[in-house]
Formats: sequence, structure tokens, C-alpha cells
Amino acid sequence: MLDIASLTPAQLYELNQNLLDNSIPSTNPTMAELAPLSVLRAEYEGNSNSDSFIKQIDYLVAQGYEGIRRSRGDGDCFYRSLIYAYIERIFSTQDRHLAVATSISTLEALLPTLREASFEDPVIDECYEVPRDLIRGIVEPEPVSNTGQTLTTAQLLEVFQDESMSNYLVVFMRMITSAHIRQNPTEYEDFLIHPEVGGKMGVQEFCEAVVEVMGKEADHVQVTAISRAIKVNVKIAYLDGRNKDGRVEFVTFNHAIDEEEAPLTLIYRPGHYDILDKRSIEPLPLDI
Amino acid sequence: MSVVYSRRLKKELQEIQIEQADPAKRAAGIQLLQAEDLKTWYFSIEVLGESLYKNEVFHLMVRFDPEYPFKSPAVQFVVSDKVKPPVHPHVYTNGHICASILGDDWSPTLSVMAICITIQSMLASCKKKELPEGNDDYVRTAPDNPKKTRFVYHGDSV
Repeated sequence: MLDIASLTPAQLYELNQNLLDNSIPSTNPTMAELAPLSVLRAEYEGNSNSDSFIKQIDYLVAQGYEGIRRSRGDGDCFYRSLIYAYIERIFSTQDRHLAVATSISTLEALLPTLREASFEDPVIDECYEVPRDLIRGIVEPEPVSNTGQTLTTAQLLEVFQDESMSNYLVVFMRMITSAHIRQNPTEYEDFLIHPEVGGKMGVQEFCEAVVEVMGKEADHVQVTAISRAIKVNVKIAYLDGRNKDGRVEFVTFNHAIDEEEAPLTLIYRPGHYDILDKRSIEPLPLDI
Repeated sequence: MSVVYSRRLKKELQEIQIEQADPAKRAAGIQLLQAEDLKTWYFSIEVLGESLYKNEVFHLMVRFDPEYPFKSPAVQFVVSDKVKPPVHPHVYTNGHICASILGDDWSPTLSVMAICITIQSMLASCKKKELPEGNDDYVRTAPDNPKKTRFVYHGDSV
């Protein structure tokens, strides 16, 4: 019988860490290839409690959503999914050069707000370089490798599967979210609730403890803040298994300059976000 | 991974060196003593102005692993013949520090300088010089690396 009280702090740490490591299967890639929604459906089949989930998945397929791109369930999945969808979308725009220029100027315009939120320059720079170089790489050949090739979607995925590159992208998204909340305190202060113990939190406290720390999930406030900051429409399909008839609630956050702009679509299951896609397999590389 | 952490540390080091050379930018009372590699850095810290630690100088050791900045560095006060850790309710006599930003509340948006400033202000705001509760027990069983300790953070957060 294990007596916890007799353990040294080091042993307790070990125990804790093991529990944590086991609860997050780290074998999952930080970002996966696009897979048909039928793969997700199969995971719920054969479980009598999952009927409403299965119905909801069928509902999504009927709406034209056939694929899912999974993000690792480590608490960073929302931010990682959103920035992936944000960058990946540029590949399918008519005018890639314009889309690249627009998104770089949007992100660049946020840098002063990051400084005002008192993030330090070296931190801002190193985090910003990652998305900037990726986005720029869609139209400009990478100078370092000197291959004369622009970025492919397969390479984009590879970068997202690199743990530290992926972490930088997440940190960048977290900084933008935090800075936006800090700059617009009156719009958010009534909604800042401690995610674990409940109870209201102040703006600074919330940003430091819930937004800027890795592994802390995003909720309505963070989704609103980031979509406003990077000026996108976000549409989230909520699969909660509650609607017996299988209907799926979509929650939309429309903050793109062009209201009609196609949203970045995510799928939420309790505690977890992935990317929802109308395609069910990776698109073939298409040279323009 | 290691490329990334050295990239960040090199930038931070550069920034610190620029700041240290310029009295207008320098964080008063914090000085980089040694950063010969990207594994272990030393700082001296003192609280300027009125505080319980007037005229005391402490040395801080900051150790990085390849997961920095996504995981916090290991930070502790140096204990040697020449320097002693401050007597403070969050500082153990072996130099380990109980501060939430070094554990659960660490964010990759923080930096080594941000840690130094936080620790300096933790000292500046101290109302009573006393050892943490359970100091002797902790010191007896503590791992060499404070990051292996699961601290329970106390009320007045730092």
C-alpha cells in the first residue's frame, strides 16, 4: 500500500508527473494529417452511450464536413488548430500573394500591442518569426535551403509536427490573445472566470494564469479575443452528445473585415478542439 | 529542440548585455555575473532602497534545459562560503525558492530577466525575515534540482 504522506517531494513530483504523462498520450502527433470523419465515427461505434455523438457526426457529414485534422489534446489544441487553419487556408486562395501580404500585415500590426502588453522584444521576435516565415514561404522560396521551392502543405504539417516549432506558434497565439484582452479590459472583465475553481478573476491575473501559460485550454473569451485580434471568422461545431436528434450547434465568431469571408472551422468535443474540414484527405500539391 | 532553446537564450543574453552596458536601461540591483554557456547563468541581486535586505547581495543560479522556454528554468539562490540565500518565507536555506512563476505559472512569454525582477520584488515586499515553514524537513529531503519539487504555493503569490 502506497502511503503518499511518506513520500519525499521528489518522489511526489515523480508520481505526479507520471500520472500527467499517462493522461496525455504523447504519441499523438501535435498535428495530424487530414482524416475522414468516418474515422472519428468508428471510435464511437459500438458504445451505446455514444449514439448522439454518432448522429452528430453524421449531421456534420451531411452538412459537407467530411474531414478532421486532429490536434494533440494537450490544452494547446485550440490555438494550434486555429493558427494551422489560418495559415493553411492561404494555400487555397485565388491570389496567394495578396493573401500572404494581407495576413503578414495583419500580424505585423499586432506587434506594437504585444509590446504594450509588456512582452519583451526577444520573446516577441522569436515567436513572430515562426508564423511570418511560414506564411511568407507560401509565395517566396525559402532562402536558407536555397532550393528555390516555396512551402508545401506537407511541409507546413511537418513544421506543426515539430514540437518546438508548434510550441512557438502556440505561444504567439497566446500572446496575441492576452494582449487583446489586456487592451480591451472593459469588454472582457465580466467574463473572466477561473477555469478550475470558478470565481471571477482580474484581467492581469486571468491573462497570466489562464492565457499565457502553456497547456491551458481556451474558452469563449479567448476564442473571441483571438478572432478579433487576427480579424477572422471562426465557426466551431460543438459536439456535446446532448442533442438527441443529432443536430450540431455551431457557434460563430465573426470578426473578419469581410463579413462574408469563409470561416476557419473547428470541431469541439468536451475539453478538446480539432480542425473540421470539407475535404477528407490531404489535398494534392498544386503548383500555381 | 536544442536549436530553439539556444536561439532564445542567445537573444536573451544579447539583450541583457546591451541593457547592462546602458545605465538607463539596466534593471537596478540586478547584474549578470556569468553566462559562459547556455546552460547555467549567474546573477547578483540586491534590493535597492529601503527594505529588510538593505546592503545584502544574493547570487541567483539559473539552469536551463533544452525544453526552455517552454518549460521553466531551474532557479535557486547560491549557497556558498561567500554568499548566503536571503532569509525569506519563500526561500529555503538550501537556496530553493517557492514561487509559482517557476512552476505552474511559468509562461514561455517570460524571460530570465523577468524572473530576476520577480524575485527581486518578492524580496522588496517582504514584511518579516523568517524561514519557510518546514524548512528543515524540506532541506533534508529536497532533490538537488528545485524543479523536481512540487511546491504548494502559498497565499501571497509572487
